[in-house]
Amino acid sequence: MTQENALRIFKSLSDMSRLRIVQSLSKGEMYTELLAERLDLTPSTVSFHMKKLEEAGIVSSRKEQYYTVYSLNKDVLDESLFSVAASEPEKVDEQQKREEEYRRKVIESFFDGGKLRSIPVQRKKKVICYEVIAEKFDIGKEYSEKELDGIISQIHEDYCTIRRDMISEGMLTRDGGIYKRIR
Amino acid sequence: MHGFLEYLIEQVKAAEEEIKKLEAEGRQDEADFCKAKRNIYEICNTVTNALWSRPEAGLKAVKAQFERFRTQWSAALDRAKASGDARNTVIEETKLAALEDVISHFAEVRS
Repeated sequence: MTQENALRIFKSLSDMSRLRIVQSLSKGEMYTELLAERLDLTPSTVSFHMKKLEEAGIVSSRKEQYYTVYSLNKDVLDESLFSVAASEPEKVDEQQKREEEYRRKVIESFFDGGKLRSIPVQRKKKVICYEVIAEKFDIGKEYSEKELDGIISQIHEDYCTIRRDMISEGMLTRDGGIYKRIR
Repeated sequence: MHGFLEYLIEQVKAAEEEIKKLEAEGRQDEADFCKAKRNIYEICNTVTNALWSRPEAGLKAVKAQFERFRTQWSAALDRAKASGDARNTVIEETKLAALEDVISHFAEVRS
C-alpha cells in the first residue's frame, strides 16, 4: 500500500456516516436503497459515500439487475493500522502512470469522434477536456474570436462557455479581441 | 406574505441547527450538503423580498423566478448525473428538494 492509498483510506473513514456504512456492510452485502433506509439518508447521499469508500478500496460493487450491491474488501480492512499508517509514498512513475490512465479514461468517456459529448461538471475532468481542445491551437499564434469560435464549435456547440473557461484556466489569453494559446 | 417570509427564515435557522448537529456528529460532507439547503432558503428569501414589494412585479414575478431556478437546477442535476459526479448530484438534489418545499409553501400565499 502507498501513502496516497493510506490517505484515501483515512480520509474516507473519518466520517461517521461512512463508518456506519462499513459497520452495516460488516454484516453482509447490501444495496444502496437498503443502506439509505437503514441509515436514514437519501440514496444519492449513500451513493456519494460509497464512491468515496470505493475510491479508497474499502468496498467493491457489482450490478445486480437494477441494483448496485456493495460489499467490504476485507483484505484492505484486515491490514494493521500500523502498516497502513507507515506505508511508503507512491513512486513518481506509478503516480504518473495512474494520472495518464485517468486522463485516458476521461477523454474516452467525454469525446466521441473528436466531438465533446458534454462539458464535464468536475473541474479536473473539465481541464483535461479543455487541454485536448487546446491542442487544436498553436502555442503563441494569434487567433481572432471568429477563428477561435469556429474551431471550438466543431468540437462542441457551447463555444462561448469553453472559450471563457479556457481563459480562466490560463490556457488562452485575450487581448483586444485577439486570442493566443499559452499552454 | 409575511408568514411565508417567516417560514423561510425559520428554515434557514433549522438548516443551521442541522449543520451544527451534523458537524458535531463527524458528518462533514452531509453538513456541507445541508449548507446548500440553507443557501436555497436564503436565496428564496432575498428574491421574495426584492420582488414582491414592486407593484409591477409582485407574486407572479416571485413565482416566475422560482420556476427559473427549477429549470436551471434540474439541468444542473442532469449534468451531474450524466457525468457521474456523485457530490454535485447530491448538492443539486438537495437544492431542488428545498426549492420544491419553498414552491409548495409559496402556493399558499395570497398576498
